[in-house]
Amino acid sequence: MKFGVKVLPRKQVLDTQGRAVEQTLQGQGFDGVQCRVGKYIELELDASSHEEAEKKVKSVAEYVLYNPLIEDFEIVKGE
Amino acid sequence: MKKIGVLRFLGTNCDRDIWQAIEMVHGQPEWLWYQDQFDPNDYAGFVVPGGFSYGDYLRSGALAARTPVMKSLQEAAAKGKPILGICNGFQILCEAHLLPGALVQNEGRRFVDKWLDVQVSTENKYFGGADKSFHLPIAHQDGRFVADNVDDLKSKGQVWVTYQHNPNGSFDDIAGVQNESGNVAGLMPHPERAMAEWMGGSDGLSFFEGMVS
Amino acid sequence: MTLEAKLGHYRISKAEFEKIKVVLGREPEGLEWALFSALWSEHCSYKSSKIHLKKLYNQSDRVLESFGENAGVIDLGEGERVAFKMESHNHPSFIEPYQGAATGVGGILRDIFTMGARPIALANYLCFGQVKAPRMDYLVNGVVKGIGGYGNCVGVPTITGQTNFDPSYDENILVNALAVGLFRPGENIFTSVAKGPGNLVVYVGAKTGRDGVHGASMASESFDDDSESKKPTVQIGDPFFEKCLIESCLEVMKEDLVVAIQDMGAAGLTSSSFEMASKGGVGLRLDLDKVPVRDSEITAEEIMLSESQERMLLICEPSRLKRIEEVFAKWGLDAVCVGEVLEDRVVKITHEGETLVEIDPDLLTESAPQYDRPYKDWSSPRKSETLPAIDVRLEQAALGPLATVHGNSREFIYQQYDQRVGAQTIKDCQFPVGVVRLPDSDRRLGLVLGCRPHLMRMDAYLGGQDSVIYPTLQLAAYGFKALALTDCLNFGNPEKPELMTELVAALGGMNQFCERFDVPIISGNVSLYNETKDRNVTSTPSTGLVGLRDIEAPIPAAQFQAANRKVLLLQQTQVHTTGAWCDLGLARSAFTGSLDADGLFGLQEALIEANEQQLISSSRVVGRFGLAYNLARMCLGGMGMSSVASSFPSEFWVSERLYEVIVEVDPSQVQALQSLCQSKQVTALEIGMTGGDQLNLESSSIKIDQLLNSYQAGVGESFGLA
Repeated sequence: MKFGVKVLPRKQVLDTQGRAVEQTLQGQGFDGVQCRVGKYIELELDASSHEEAEKKVKSVAEYVLYNPLIEDFEIVKGE
Repeated sequence: MKKIGVLRFLGTNCDRDIWQAIEMVHGQPEWLWYQDQFDPNDYAGFVVPGGFSYGDYLRSGALAARTPVMKSLQEAAAKGKPILGICNGFQILCEAHLLPGALVQNEGRRFVDKWLDVQVSTENKYFGGADKSFHLPIAHQDGRFVADNVDDLKSKGQVWVTYQHNPNGSFDDIAGVQNESGNVAGLMPHPERAMAEWMGGSDGLSFFEGMVS
Repeated sequence: MTLEAKLGHYRISKAEFEKIKVVLGREPEGLEWALFSALWSEHCSYKSSKIHLKKLYNQSDRVLESFGENAGVIDLGEGERVAFKMESHNHPSFIEPYQGAATGVGGILRDIFTMGARPIALANYLCFGQVKAPRMDYLVNGVVKGIGGYGNCVGVPTITGQTNFDPSYDENILVNALAVGLFRPGENIFTSVAKGPGNLVVYVGAKTGRDGVHGASMASESFDDDSESKKPTVQIGDPFFEKCLIESCLEVMKEDLVVAIQDMGAAGLTSSSFEMASKGGVGLRLDLDKVPVRDSEITAEEIMLSESQERMLLICEPSRLKRIEEVFAKWGLDAVCVGEVLEDRVVKITHEGETLVEIDPDLLTESAPQYDRPYKDWSSPRKSETLPAIDVRLEQAALGPLATVHGNSREFIYQQYDQRVGAQTIKDCQFPVGVVRLPDSDRRLGLVLGCRPHLMRMDAYLGGQDSVIYPTLQLAAYGFKALALTDCLNFGNPEKPELMTELVAALGGMNQFCERFDVPIISGNVSLYNETKDRNVTSTPSTGLVGLRDIEAPIPAAQFQAANRKVLLLQQTQVHTTGAWCDLGLARSAFTGSLDADGLFGLQEALIEANEQQLISSSRVVGRFGLAYNLARMCLGGMGMSSVASSFPSEFWVSERLYEVIVEVDPSQVQALQSLCQSKQVTALEIGMTGGDQLNLESSSIKIDQLLNSYQAGVGESFGLA
């Protein structure tokens, strides 16, 4: 099964990349566009059920994919 | 004295080093600010300096390549003016499609600062003079050159300089490339940091002398 | 909230609460709690160390600014001046190593360019735990990446550093960052003294978020298991933003648009505004509604305490505001007027139409508590009559340490730092002293760090002396005269008398030598409570020294240069120690003798004059692990050496003696060097001859390739990172 994990900076935490992208867009015809920059990770795994797979994905995400100090993650449903 | 335009973006940090290098070879540097456009005919050549334009955020060079000053630089390139991109400047020229390929994170996933040797694969008519090899420092995180068509680049003489010992996993040890007509060139090592013996070597001189002579 | 709970939340002791009541004439209210909590914290008030810091030698003719400003400034004599300072970021780096180290670099850079100086060099002093300590590979990796990530991007070269390892840092690492800035002739020094009622208070740089709220009081606390729950206070650094802030601040200062300027560091807007007002003897009105915020739900208290990075507060005349806004806008930054300077000595803070605080700033700064914590006179418990045996054979004396983290290559670390951006670097991290060129001058600026924790563990007084003298001699070995010093006093819990005793002893040792060598202590920072679960770190007064070389000739190398040259040992040997062998479990920690400043002053003079007369082609102050190991280091460039036929006792090659310097001399110059040394009461002992591809000491002989193999494995491999 294939899953995606979206990792984005926590809302309370400064997103340095997003801020730089927003600033560059300003004045180049893209005023008012808000931006956050994160990562998207794809995981492929074997599991007997969707629930079990999602549980596994969650534990992988918590184990290494994101840093809870500065990031949040979201699991994107697999196929 | 020949006037050389030095591009400055937010986050460029080798701009003053390039200024010093151009003065050392008796050229006349002039700043070109990222928000402004310019007339290419006013300059004998251009340098896009290294640094961390826009913090290397999103992709190195991506945001700088989309600023107003680059429209004028595209014109200058089309007119055959010599343009040299160094380190982040090289990345910007690739992102602006003035040079082929792309520069991605080093294979070792770490920033690397050291002196090393590079060799000329195909001579460039403006930069690097007639020497066949150079001792220069590198300092980069995203210096791994990748392209779909390296053989194609080679056959067209676009592979300009290569590393003797590959520090970053670049395809075919590529350290610098040029466009088909040779007026636009980019390299990862920093010739402006090798302009005198007190810096540790002077192999960088010929990268600036060509533009001002 | 009960009073008890409130005191706990704001980390104010019962006694300090009583003092606040006296100072105010009533109990604190509302926002005042947060202000007292921040400004009376150890981190902001230096309450445990101030009475001792006041005794330090901090003045001389060349000192232009010293304690009390963001950084010290010294005059280099030909119109140029340098600002420099070192600061700790230990606690944040232990919690989140990348961001902790990165924001440490960002903070120290702001201290420098706030003064109007352009940052030209960075250095870092790091202490990590042992290789097998939990999380240590992660901490080493994160700290190094964080320092590089910030310094490289902001475009300031890292030209020197020091990294130590010891179990006492297993649960409390040290991350000290130093920055140097240059004022070229004609450039003004700016201070943080607010002046001129009616002038505007302008906020520049990044928007305020909840980053690091209560960080200042956290930094003054010991680590405990609940450090985990303090995680959300981590600040995020943005070196790209800082680069824009450097350029825009230097630009408004160059145009002389600024009356006073201060960075928002620990306790952010609170410390910057109160300190500026207090120093200027004026008041300030601050309208928090005008402060740019990242999160609309942020409270007034959080705005006042936020440690969001890359922000500055400046004071300007009203007519200058428009131009200031233009300059900052050019660099993509906000500049917002958030208040004005008041004639009355009162800081008045308003928010949402309400006045939250109206208070005399001196009550929070000048009236902060000062403690004379109990301590004893130093008794040198490890001083002995004779030196205990060191259990190591001669070949192992050279080779052994090279294969441990205590003596192997740091290349893995410094290769991740840009050492040459700025194109002024003459000697990089590979060299014992970092060297940059001064623009339009043949004089060179040298930078070196001091404090050797293994000596601090042996004796706090001796270790304090060594923190000044060893780096001073390192500078002198390459022709640099030490000019001034900054320090970072990393100690444990000052409420424990034995720790306070070490602090006072170390400062006493440092001060004695600073005075004799005329190396004033012009800036620094104190980091106390470096303890976890009652275990203190090694008391570590790290130092950073700036020196000047006024000699045109090339700087001597740190490795042997050519064959058939004499190898001499310049000796002013006063103390014998078992040194770093104790860290390897091969000796008992002990020393004999004591240091004599006058004798060492002669050694410094002899070294500088030997440079002036171009008598030496390479040199090295004998450091950790004694002579054999340090000779091995000098062979790593490929040129070997052999000791003279006469045989020395094995202790000669192994013990660490304070102080001796290895020099390589052309045979034709030996006579001249001998007589120079004689005039300075320094012994010049011939110990060998260069040549070959081996290090031959007495009957032992090791191939340089073998030395290199051990050495080059390096810190990266020790931690499984390379």
